[in-house]
Amino acid sequence: MSDLNVAIVIKLEPDFSEGNVSYNPDGTLNRAETKNTLGPHSAIAAHAAFYSKVMYDAKISIGTMGPPIADSSLQMAQRICDAEELHLYSDRIFAGADTLATAEVLKTGIEKMQGKIDIVFAGHRASDGETGQTGPQTAWKLGFTFLGNVIDYKVDLKERTVIAKRMVSLQGFNDIVEEIEAPLPVFISVDPAYKANFNTVLQRLSLEKYKKEAKIRSDNYKHYLKVFNAQQLGVDLKFVGLLGSPTIVYKVERIPKGKATRQAEILDGSNQEDLRKAVAKMKEALSAMVIK
Amino acid sequence: MSDNNYQHLYVVIEVQDDKIVPVSLEMLGEARRLIDSFNKKYQSNEKVVAILLGHNIKEICNTLIEYGADVIVYADSHELKNYRNNIYTKTISQIAQDEKLSAQISPSSKFKKPRYMFFAADSIGRHLSSTVLVALDSGLASDINKLEISDLKITHQHKTDGKPVTYEKTLEMYRPDFSGFLWTTILCLDNKNPQIERDYHPQSCSIIPGVFEPIAPDKGRKGPIIEYMPTFDQNDLRVKILSRQVIRSGVDFDSYKTVVSFGRGIKDAPEQNIKLVEQLAKTLNAEIGVSLPISKKPFVVSENVSSKYMISDRVIGTSGRRISPMLYVAVGISGAMQHVVGMQDSRFIVAINPDENSPIKDECDVFIKGRMEDVIPKLVEEIKQQSLAVNA
Repeated sequence: MSDLNVAIVIKLEPDFSEGNVSYNPDGTLNRAETKNTLGPHSAIAAHAAFYSKVMYDAKISIGTMGPPIADSSLQMAQRICDAEELHLYSDRIFAGADTLATAEVLKTGIEKMQGKIDIVFAGHRASDGETGQTGPQTAWKLGFTFLGNVIDYKVDLKERTVIAKRMVSLQGFNDIVEEIEAPLPVFISVDPAYKANFNTVLQRLSLEKYKKEAKIRSDNYKHYLKVFNAQQLGVDLKFVGLLGSPTIVYKVERIPKGKATRQAEILDGSNQEDLRKAVAKMKEALSAMVIK
Repeated sequence: MSDNNYQHLYVVIEVQDDKIVPVSLEMLGEARRLIDSFNKKYQSNEKVVAILLGHNIKEICNTLIEYGADVIVYADSHELKNYRNNIYTKTISQIAQDEKLSAQISPSSKFKKPRYMFFAADSIGRHLSSTVLVALDSGLASDINKLEISDLKITHQHKTDGKPVTYEKTLEMYRPDFSGFLWTTILCLDNKNPQIERDYHPQSCSIIPGVFEPIAPDKGRKGPIIEYMPTFDQNDLRVKILSRQVIRSGVDFDSYKTVVSFGRGIKDAPEQNIKLVEQLAKTLNAEIGVSLPISKKPFVVSENVSSKYMISDRVIGTSGRRISPMLYVAVGISGAMQHVVGMQDSRFIVAINPDENSPIKDECDVFIKGRMEDVIPKLVEEIKQQSLAVNA
């Protein structure tokens, strides 16, 4: 038995890397042509959970809601963090869920994981939806303390507490790093700036051991995988999918092009005389008096 | 689920170190405009209610009235000095559901739930809105930059059982997508299908800082300022803030007169092209910014370059920084609205782009047509000749 059970909730997302992403001529994402991958923020969450494995021997479970192909994201995350358990919540009835209805599924899934979960890790936000709401909403449904924008954390196994550092960035203020102490269980949404540090030889040895194990396990990820449909999960159908979503997408439109705010002078970048003119104008702008 | 069960627009105010975070006044401004036209259109008398949590904040209440709030509900406690999600969520949802408070806000009416609720889309409001709306069991849209209230005829498989139903006084919440080219309108609608009838109020959203204008403050405005006494769960108080440390970002746009930014136009040879951008920035003594897509690390480059440039700290735009340097040079940036909002206040804007039809053309003073690979080396030479670099 491990002293610490952690969970990660992840998402299969469009792969925005060049070569895999496809844009329509109008600049919007071509979803049909774009490949999918483990979301970059989900990957960061997996790295944060892996820190718990290396430092505290934590047992890790990963959960995701998505179509059957989302099992690939579980495999990718397992490869990062050497998870013991993979959960895929997959049912056509879950499709079209907004963040509240997604949180209901994730919360129910987390409660079905092996062991009593002490920490849940989630990404900062999805690269496609970009709401950043699903994590905190799942936390509240679980009754876990929510800690957002976490850049670093450690666990006191004896006191059963977490000490986390989190970023607070507010309009017009310098950024603040807050150190917060909270009793377990907690739900951590991991800031993109998170980076794990393994300083001692012992930690590095442990890191290498688990990395090897992660490779072996993820090569056989199906062995660790459990797939749940709505019935197996035991969710109330009124609270999931489209049926359980308070919000709907009413319409999608192109953002109308505003009036031109400036009248650009168009210069030819291959013409030295034009470039000379451009630089002269830049110079003028920089030397102008600023009247405030 | 009659319309009579809801009223008012609640705005959750943010305060940091005894100062109002500007987005709070921007939200009040938009709330004022919306409710004024709402009251005219529906001949009603609904209010803008500001919710303020903190410690020693009474002074701030008057300012909020001047900036458009009709009523202030504030909770003042040393426990609320800094944001902690659990006690903030509980206090706000208690305020939203408190019958006595409701009677104080509108003495003549029976208890009503908030109709609409606004939060800031920042590192406090984004999470706070999420948890409050779970506590209130309603829907939430994030990162909104346009709002309207209208009566909409909706036909929806679940919500209306496939039949057309008119939803009155519905908040249309416009959200720019990640590309910056599409607007998605989100609605939060009650389920009116008799089999699954559910009430989804308040209709709520988080609002992008820097989008809406505050109203001009009016010292003559008056309104009730109501204190709410929150009760805290002792277990929640075990979450403690041990320390707070102010840090300055490693990327300091404000100390530079010039900013050079790059976008997806580097795609043909990312590593080399970022080097070109570096060269240009060095010649101009400029800080380097990026467009939002770059922070998603769309290109394979060395770890050094990636961790230095493909980071959110450098993003210029609605989901990053808003800057106003003397000179802004946009290299390979198409000019999505999301980016333009962050740089449009620059004094002079130069764009380097091969496509004359890209939207950036309408947002710049000089448009240098050409591929960055060809233009930057020549431009750098020309700058050196005219010795343009100005010390920051």
